[in-house]
Amino acid sequence: MIKNRLAKWVFGSTFLVTMLLPAMAFAAEAEVVGEWQAYVAKAFAAGLAMGLSALAAGYAQAKIGSAGAGTLAERPEASVWIIVLQALPEIIVLLGFVASILIVNMPVTPA
Amino acid sequence: MSDATTSTRRRSAVSGNDYGYANARIRGMRSRLFDRPFLDRLIEEPSVPRLVQDLTETEYGPDLEEVLIHGLDATNVDVALKNNMVRTFQKIMGFLNPEAAYLVTTLLGRWDIFNVKTILRAKHMHLSIDELKDGLLPAGQLTPVDLEALSSVDDVRTVVDTAATWGLPMAAALRDGHGEFMHTGELASLELALDRYYTEWAQERLSRRGANTRMAQKVLATQVDVANLVMVLRLQSADVEHIDIDQFFLEGGAVITRELYTALSRMSDIDEVLGRLRGTAYGRALDDVSMTYLEQNSISVFERALEDLFTRRTLGIAKGDPLGIGVAISYLWAKQNEITNLRIIVKGKSVGMPVDRVRKELILV
Repeated sequence: MIKNRLAKWVFGSTFLVTMLLPAMAFAAEAEVVGEWQAYVAKAFAAGLAMGLSALAAGYAQAKIGSAGAGTLAERPEASVWIIVLQALPEIIVLLGFVASILIVNMPVTPA
Repeated sequence: MSDATTSTRRRSAVSGNDYGYANARIRGMRSRLFDRPFLDRLIEEPSVPRLVQDLTETEYGPDLEEVLIHGLDATNVDVALKNNMVRTFQKIMGFLNPEAAYLVTTLLGRWDIFNVKTILRAKHMHLSIDELKDGLLPAGQLTPVDLEALSSVDDVRTVVDTAATWGLPMAAALRDGHGEFMHTGELASLELALDRYYTEWAQERLSRRGANTRMAQKVLATQVDVANLVMVLRLQSADVEHIDIDQFFLEGGAVITRELYTALSRMSDIDEVLGRLRGTAYGRALDDVSMTYLEQNSISVFERALEDLFTRRTLGIAKGDPLGIGVAISYLWAKQNEITNLRIIVKGKSVGMPVDRVRKELILV
């Protein structure tokens, strides 16, 4: 359950970036627009995909980190699990990174 | 200080809401609570020294070592267990976020009332300080030093005066109840004034919005319901006619409204009360022990059933909300329950109580 307002905001933004912006980039390419507009749209979409996914991962890692510190204070034997859990959100950044590369490498067809 | 400044300070004092660290830590602590097989092993130990030996290997070890230099007997073990509970509560208060600390302080305020009531009773019955000390549990805002100072005064009146001199928030309630006490010579008026003060104080503190505050309100409301029901059942059992029963009602319950309380208190016997409560949240718990009540003819059976229900509900409050105040509340009650059980086992062992009887006395294992 997402109760925190910031969590909702970050989740919503990431969703928008990963779902809508690549679609916008495709749309920009399909529409009759100039070549430079398509490049700008792609760069913008790629930047947001990377940036917001990094922010989301940072948020997740902050939460996991504080909970992990709490667990380690009482159960030091769980340290391996904490490290694994702490690293998991990196996948979000990797997905953002891959998405941004795909967006940047899309061919631009001149109008 | 202006109202605006006070309001801003209060807001900032309760604004922190990161429960990740505290709840993870509390879950770690919860994993060290004793399970049924371990308690069974303790019950079956032949003597207090063997039992202490088992406990020394657990997290109670440091507390036991601290007091057992004064001798290995049930009284010292009892002191060690109480010290552990106080230390654990203080540890939790130390790492809770400001909002959680505010809510937990409100709920633990009941221990201050419990301690002051214990002191008043002891002074009224002229018990010695040593006897009084056994009954105290400094888990609220009053420190062990405060309680020791309050315990060392001569009589009820001096307790009330000392509370006023210290500026304790409950001093006004004590003063109000003391007038009646001087008139009747019965402590009931003082205790009622304290209970009323606590419920009003806690409700005022829990009058904010938010899921966590609602959860704390729920615990408080159940506590008030249980207190009102116990009062109705006690008065029914005592069969008093000349007392205005309504004066004992505490506001703020979830199920027991003033109308229901009045209706229950006017009923002719306990069977009728149980019949009226059937279908409410408390009906089943009371029905389950009605046969035991008939066998023992003691109202304490119902009191115990209601207390158990309250504890069970509070223990279950953490379910479904891993990032809220429920985890802390649930743990505090679970710890308190464990300490109570250990004290029962130690006392039982020291007086040679049969194993089966000790098992029966344990609360919600």
